[in-house]
Amino acid sequence: MLHFQLNPIIVKEVRTRMRGMRPYLILTGFLVLLALTGLGIYQLMLQQARFGGAVLSAQVGQALFRGLSFVELLLIIMLAPALTSATISSEREQLTYDMLMATPLRPGQLLWGKLLAALSYLFLLIFASLPVFSIVLVFGGVEPRALVKTVVLLLVTTVAFGAIGLFCSSLFRRTARATTVAYLLVVLLIGVPLLIGAVWGQFSNPPGQSPPPMLYYLNPLSALFAVTTIEPGVIEGGFDPGMMPFIAFDFSTGGLPFLHLLSSGVIFYGPAGVVVIPIYRATLIGYSLMTVLLCWISAHLVLPHRRWHLRWTDLGFALLLIGLGAVAYFTHAWWYLVPPPLVMGPAG
Amino acid sequence: MTPAIETISLSRRYGRMIALDQLNLRVERGSIYGFIGPNGAGKTTTLRLLAGLLEPSSGEIRLSGQRLVPGSGQRLVGYMPDFFGVYDDLRVWEYLDFFARCYGIPSDRRSRTVDELLSLVDLSSKRTAYVQTLSRGMQQRLCLAHALVHNPPVLLLDEPASGLDPRARVELRELLRTLREMDKTVVLSSHILSELAEICTEIGIIESGKMVISGPVDEVRRQLQGGAQLRIRVLHSVEQAEIVLRGLVGTASETLPHLRNVRLAPTEERTLIIELDEADETLQTRLLHYLIGQGLAISEFRAQAENLEELFLRLTAGE
Repeated sequence: MLHFQLNPIIVKEVRTRMRGMRPYLILTGFLVLLALTGLGIYQLMLQQARFGGAVLSAQVGQALFRGLSFVELLLIIMLAPALTSATISSEREQLTYDMLMATPLRPGQLLWGKLLAALSYLFLLIFASLPVFSIVLVFGGVEPRALVKTVVLLLVTTVAFGAIGLFCSSLFRRTARATTVAYLLVVLLIGVPLLIGAVWGQFSNPPGQSPPPMLYYLNPLSALFAVTTIEPGVIEGGFDPGMMPFIAFDFSTGGLPFLHLLSSGVIFYGPAGVVVIPIYRATLIGYSLMTVLLCWISAHLVLPHRRWHLRWTDLGFALLLIGLGAVAYFTHAWWYLVPPPLVMGPAG
Repeated sequence: MTPAIETISLSRRYGRMIALDQLNLRVERGSIYGFIGPNGAGKTTTLRLLAGLLEPSSGEIRLSGQRLVPGSGQRLVGYMPDFFGVYDDLRVWEYLDFFARCYGIPSDRRSRTVDELLSLVDLSSKRTAYVQTLSRGMQQRLCLAHALVHNPPVLLLDEPASGLDPRARVELRELLRTLREMDKTVVLSSHILSELAEICTEIGIIESGKMVISGPVDEVRRQLQGGAQLRIRVLHSVEQAEIVLRGLVGTASETLPHLRNVRLAPTEERTLIIELDEADETLQTRLLHYLIGQGLAISEFRAQAENLEELFLRLTAGE
């Protein structure tokens, strides 16, 4: 008789994940940090108003939304690899790996069970942060579309960075090494494009050119910057005052410190005005491809022997990758956007 | 009858190193097979191959007559590794429940299976305790229970008694006897021979990846000894007894056994160890009669069984 059974790894991980103080401490710390960020941004806005700046309620809402989103993204970037980089290597370190491999449990089940269990905790953090986010509604100024895009980007980033940790955990026998390499990859994805972008103008010909958006396709911070920047309404011959965004190109960071560093590769100044390149589209596609690829390789790395022999699961992964590749190919006009010719330097 | 386990010219290489060389092993159903060898002899490699965790470089494995292909043997064998891990943050029943789920045991049978196994390994009272709070011996029994969760006909136990105190070893021995009564075929490895001598029905001695000798314990002992030893204790004047016995060494007699050597027992007083060419009880009786006739006051006269440890050391000496 056929009977449905939950993945044993998920059952075990869910049973143990919330045991002890640690998960609750992380959750509390996460929410406290978010709340403090919200408070800090609100104080910053108040300060701007006190010093004569015209700060509207919607602007406060937008700044809060943006600030909280960035903090949440940063926390996810820090937590996701940490939570997944121990998944497989800890089984090897705990000497339970052989016992698992001696059971009929398939490596695929082990992988997706571990990934889902680790990510479910992160999803819990995202879900638990919604009440903090709801304070934005008090001030207004955020489109529901931007909210949906942000949540989708956060979820996709969570899975992709979780997959990086999972891949490292499958590759290395030691958790310490897996975690170190996972964070190196994270730095590579985030820090290196920002670094190249910072010096791009000095080496470009002619000098002062903006770096291409392509450089930031896999950088989640740039993608979130693109999502949370509202493009100014444009009419023939200039800006439409009626569609003027609350966060304008000269206030593109909503008064938040450091965020202007992320405008590179996202905000361009064309002849028709400010253009925000929606690089998050490429990020979503890139992360989906990266996640499938890393999970595919990991599914081979966890095998005790015959690691690189072809299996039926390879067909599934290959079809998924081909499908995503086809989507990327046929929608390239949607995500591959070329910035307008430069007319002036970036803000900030 | 089809053997429970059979390997045919089984070899395993790690790069250039040969860990297992043309191993031919046959383990009958219902037996407790002890795999003996020094560290690095190839015991763990053999057990990992049988558990399907390693792929042979050449040769084949048959479990209950069926050729083992990767991924096919998990339900036929229960495997307990030498260095086993336990999930510290799980309770005892959750630990077994987890492995029961891994083996796809349906929910209506799972709880009963867990209870039965806990009862078998005498851990029912620790059902809700965290695994990390168990003693080493209890963890060992729990790990053994995990290998039984799917009721496999064959159990592979790698160094099951290592690190256990004497009491825990006795408990493990009792448990293995129970498993034999349950008609399980058990293959266990050890580098401590005394651990296996009492519980195994068959043994195999492996060294440098090659099987040196294999078969029922008594047969192996007989083959290795190649003769017999007698232990004689006299009431007094062991010197006189030694003179009488030395006089028989090397002499050809049809009525008395052929003595190869006579030596004093190193740890016991008034005791002599005599090495004979063969273990013939009639000749031994005549020897006793002859010694009494020589006026020796013999208080003890019995066959001295060389223990497995001595045999193994003798067998592998100089290699």
